[in-house]
Amino acid sequence: MSKTCCRFFGGLLKAQENWLNRMSEKGYRLIRTGKLLYEFERCKPNQVKYCVEYIGQKSKDSAEDYHDFLEDMGYRVFYKNLNLNVSIGKLRWRPWAEKGGRISTNATTFNRELLIVEKENDGKPVDLHTSCEDKVSYYGNLRNQWLFLLLALAIFAVAGRSAILGVIASALLMPVLVYQAQTAKAKRESRIKE
Amino acid sequence: MRDNVKGGALTEVTFFILLSLYTPKHGYAIMQFVEEKTGGRLSLGAGTLYGALNALQEKGWIEPCGDHGGRKKEYQLTEQGKAAAENELARLRELAHIADGIVGGTA
Repeated sequence: MSKTCCRFFGGLLKAQENWLNRMSEKGYRLIRTGKLLYEFERCKPNQVKYCVEYIGQKSKDSAEDYHDFLEDMGYRVFYKNLNLNVSIGKLRWRPWAEKGGRISTNATTFNRELLIVEKENDGKPVDLHTSCEDKVSYYGNLRNQWLFLLLALAIFAVAGRSAILGVIASALLMPVLVYQAQTAKAKRESRIKE
Repeated sequence: MRDNVKGGALTEVTFFILLSLYTPKHGYAIMQFVEEKTGGRLSLGAGTLYGALNALQEKGWIEPCGDHGGRKKEYQLTEQGKAAAENELARLRELAHIADGIVGGTA
């Protein structure tokens, strides 16, 4: 018996992850993802665990390579879109991406910014990043991306004298600060530990 | 890799990956090797392993090996990688020797 749910989490990676894990607790495992849709099938309660990984900074090749690597490691991996964007022939520059920015199109990395990683539950959470320096680069990248969005909106808000954009821009401070705190914590630890 | 610029120390993860690749292994086997050898003390996340493997390959310390008919990619140590592992062992011995002299004494 399959079950389809309609949800949108946007940039709330942790919320998406928690929701998927709650579905697993109820005995549903993911079999397919769409833009808004998640299709589940029955499984034993708590049979699997999920984590959501951001890969929007990667090129098409390195994203695919990473995806295949994770599948080889015994995980099931799903691509997921970050934003709700339905335009065709999209072309966008991602200045925060690796190697000084990358261009994203529908055929390459657009709408494939996230990976949902599923593993058989062995009591431990899915921990993809375990070393301090790796955490620094993962969280730092997430922070930079929110920061970029914040700055872009702040500039538009000032240029257009728009209060709404200003409010949205200040709301973006939240994720920037959260990821900054995580980056800084990993950085502090990396000074004395690995 | 956060190799210490002057001292040349490897991270524990790096050293374990090098050690595991004295015989060719794919990613999952490397992760198992590390968990098994450390009794679960050091767990290696797949994302971290992926980054480390790429960095080591770039450095020329490990290389993919075997036929790529199967999708699972196997890696093995290069001569350069072996030299790096040997250097690290010598460094750790020296470090342990110094520490023994100060902390352990009789150990």
